Amino acid sequence: MEKSNSQKIKVGIFVVVGTVLLIAALYFIGSRQQMFSKNIDLYGVFENANGLQLGNNVRYSGVNVGTVSMIEMVEEGKIIVAMSVEEKTAFFIKKDAVASIGSDGLVGSMVVNILPGKDIKAGWVVSGDTIKIHSKVSTDEMLSTLNKTNENAALLTADLLKITNQIVAGKGTLGALVSDSLIAKDIRQSAAELKRMTSGATHAISQINTIISKINYDESAAALLLSDTVSKNQIQKVFGNLEKSSANIKEVTKTLDDYINEIQSGKGTLNYVTQDEVLVQTIDSTMINIKEAAEKLNENMEALKHNFLFRGYFRKLERKERKEAKEN
Amino acid sequence: MNNENAILSNTKSFFAEIGDMTFFAGRFFREVFSPPFEFKELVRQCYNMGNRSLLLVSVTGFILGLVFTLQSRPTLMQFGAQSWMASMVSLSIVREIGPVIIALICAGRIGSGIGAELGSMRVTEQIDAMEVSGTNPFKYLVVTRVVATTLMLPLLIIMGDAIALLGSAIVENLKGDVSFLLYFNQVFDALQFSDLLPATVKSVFFGFAIGLVGCYKGYNCAKGTVGVGEASNSAVVYISMLLFIIDFIAVFVTDIFFDI
Amino acid sequence: MTSKKNIKPVLELKNLKKSFGDNHVLKGFNLKLFEGENLVIMGKSGSGKSVMVKCLVGLIQPDSGSIRIKDQDIITMGQTELDLLRTEIGFLFQGSALYDSMTVRENLEFPLRRHKDKIENFQSTEFSVKEALENVGLAHTIDLMPAELSGGMQRRVAMARALILKPKIIMYDEPTTGLDPITAKEIIQLMRTIQKKYNTSSLIITHDVDCARVISNRMILLVDGINYAEGTFEELSNSKDEQVQAFFKS
Repeated sequence: MEKSNSQKIKVGIFVVVGTVLLIAALYFIGSRQQMFSKNIDLYGVFENANGLQLGNNVRYSGVNVGTVSMIEMVEEGKIIVAMSVEEKTAFFIKKDAVASIGSDGLVGSMVVNILPGKDIKAGWVVSGDTIKIHSKVSTDEMLSTLNKTNENAALLTADLLKITNQIVAGKGTLGALVSDSLIAKDIRQSAAELKRMTSGATHAISQINTIISKINYDESAAALLLSDTVSKNQIQKVFGNLEKSSANIKEVTKTLDDYINEIQSGKGTLNYVTQDEVLVQTIDSTMINIKEAAEKLNENMEALKHNFLFRGYFRKLERKERKEAKEN
Repeated sequence: MNNENAILSNTKSFFAEIGDMTFFAGRFFREVFSPPFEFKELVRQCYNMGNRSLLLVSVTGFILGLVFTLQSRPTLMQFGAQSWMASMVSLSIVREIGPVIIALICAGRIGSGIGAELGSMRVTEQIDAMEVSGTNPFKYLVVTRVVATTLMLPLLIIMGDAIALLGSAIVENLKGDVSFLLYFNQVFDALQFSDLLPATVKSVFFGFAIGLVGCYKGYNCAKGTVGVGEASNSAVVYISMLLFIIDFIAVFVTDIFFDI
Repeated sequence: MTSKKNIKPVLELKNLKKSFGDNHVLKGFNLKLFEGENLVIMGKSGSGKSVMVKCLVGLIQPDSGSIRIKDQDIITMGQTELDLLRTEIGFLFQGSALYDSMTVRENLEFPLRRHKDKIENFQSTEFSVKEALENVGLAHTIDLMPAELSGGMQRRVAMARALILKPKIIMYDEPTTGLDPITAKEIIQLMRTIQKKYNTSSLIITHDVDCARVISNRMILLVDGINYAEGTFEELSNSKDEQVQAFFKS
């Protein structure tokens, strides 16, 4: 029953030490819960540590997976950063993953971001691997690059100005081409037509957009709109316009195609043009633009067809076509 | 040389006391689960403790909430964040301040009371008399009291929290034109299960510590009237120390399991 | 007297030793208590009388020696058996030791809570309490708190409590200390009445010579932790030994 004094002292020491150990253990578990998960070490060699500190988080695809365990400068511009990463996450990191140092929020502490690699064949990282790094441009570097771009732009502008001046003065092959009034007229005309048409299409599309946005804005408004004959008529009119515009575009494209064919077959004064690379390129890019516009228009039309509000209208159109086909 | 000896013997007696307390706790756990059970005495003790501390806890809780809100107001107003008052006050009271302050008050009220009561019973041989009359005094006196404090303290703390929030709501109502409905709406919005549960678990341990140390000090009281005073005094000191250690551990454990 | 030597004692202490740290209180104390006798143990304050009697009921664990009550060794006994055996022993404490948070009635009911079956012809708790109080002549105090009673009354209530389970052995630890001589005489008278009524064996620890003279059949002087002298009151009071004479002079 009675416990001897030395027994009491032993138990007392045991309890005190136990309590201290418990608190210490809880502290460590709380501060770094990875202590119990197995970790692997990855390394990255950076030029600039950007104020990275020991214990900063390591993120993989935005998920905290570990901490920075060592930062050591081995020589000028060569800083080895060791990252302790959870083993279970490391399973997803490929060998060609890229590490970069970034900041966590506007005034937050620094983090190491690991971006996933793309090469599946590269395999997965193992402990001790050094992964590639990507040094994010600092503001200084960004400004200097911008400066260079600016200078280039200035040079280009000067060149362009020179060319334009020459064209205006009617010098060189391009001058001759421009003075060929027939072609000039043709080109000008088709360009004007194209412009008109495009603006027509744009107008139509913007009208549709307004209507659709109105419809989307409020369902009750959509119901109202559908029951409202005025807006129905409006929509039909818009589609009429649209169709007309796309027909026009087709026509213009055809005309242009003809020109191109003529150019390619090397007929008439246009031979000159083929030698003037600048113009060819310009025309080419115009063509591409037109094609893109036409495609986009088609896409819009297609999208409209699928829109439930207009489904009825298009079905009606189809039925009408079928009817006409039958009659014929 | 003399000082060294004094330090050594002090350290020894400190550890011996903790060891003895551990044996005492061990005996408590052995006896709490073995019949016969003193239910009637347990209920009487529960009633006694709740009843004796009710007013004190209420008044303290009320003033705590009142003062806490009044003092936080200027700071929050600097940030224009008075609307955070309810959630801030409720979180800090329910999670930390309420349990600790009320437990400290109960240490003074209940813990010293138990220490003095059992101490005087020991000194006047009442505990021996019980033992001689064939009743286990440990079961009758210690087990009932420790179980009673363990059960009652969480209740007292929850009640104290509620009254503290009432005090806070009154300040907000008078100074900030916040209606009681809005205030308590915000309070219940801010509070989550993960705030209340750790606090309640913690207060169970607080209650156990108060009962156990109070009983230990009284049960092992030295002879004489001085011994009784010493018992009740050192009971409060030990309990207060233990409360902070428990709180310290509880904060870490909560941190791990609830991710605050 | 000699005839009693052949009867088995109800209580027997052999070579009892107990020390607290370096303070050796009992150094081999021997004692035999026979049925129906009043044995008085006298000693100076701090001579270990109280420690000895507390060892007897298992409140203090002795360092060595044997204690046998009714032929059972109480040192090696389990808690449950010890509790049962204790119901056969009444114990009157030095300071009465009434439970001051309970009324007189509750004080007397307390030993009955678990051991009603120990009483022969048990009728009711109420009956037992009343009977015990009437034995000490304090039936009217049943609903009072101990603090409302005088010292002598408290002592008598404590006696009633010690007797409520009708024990065969009663131990009195300084039954007359702190009382005025008249009240002390009343208490001694009461002890004799009870002894005759229930034919109990009594062990009386005291340093009160008057008490010893009135009540004792036999006496033991406890000096320096051992039984220094033994005999009847007359034998000891006429002893030539200086240490023995010191008790009786005063």
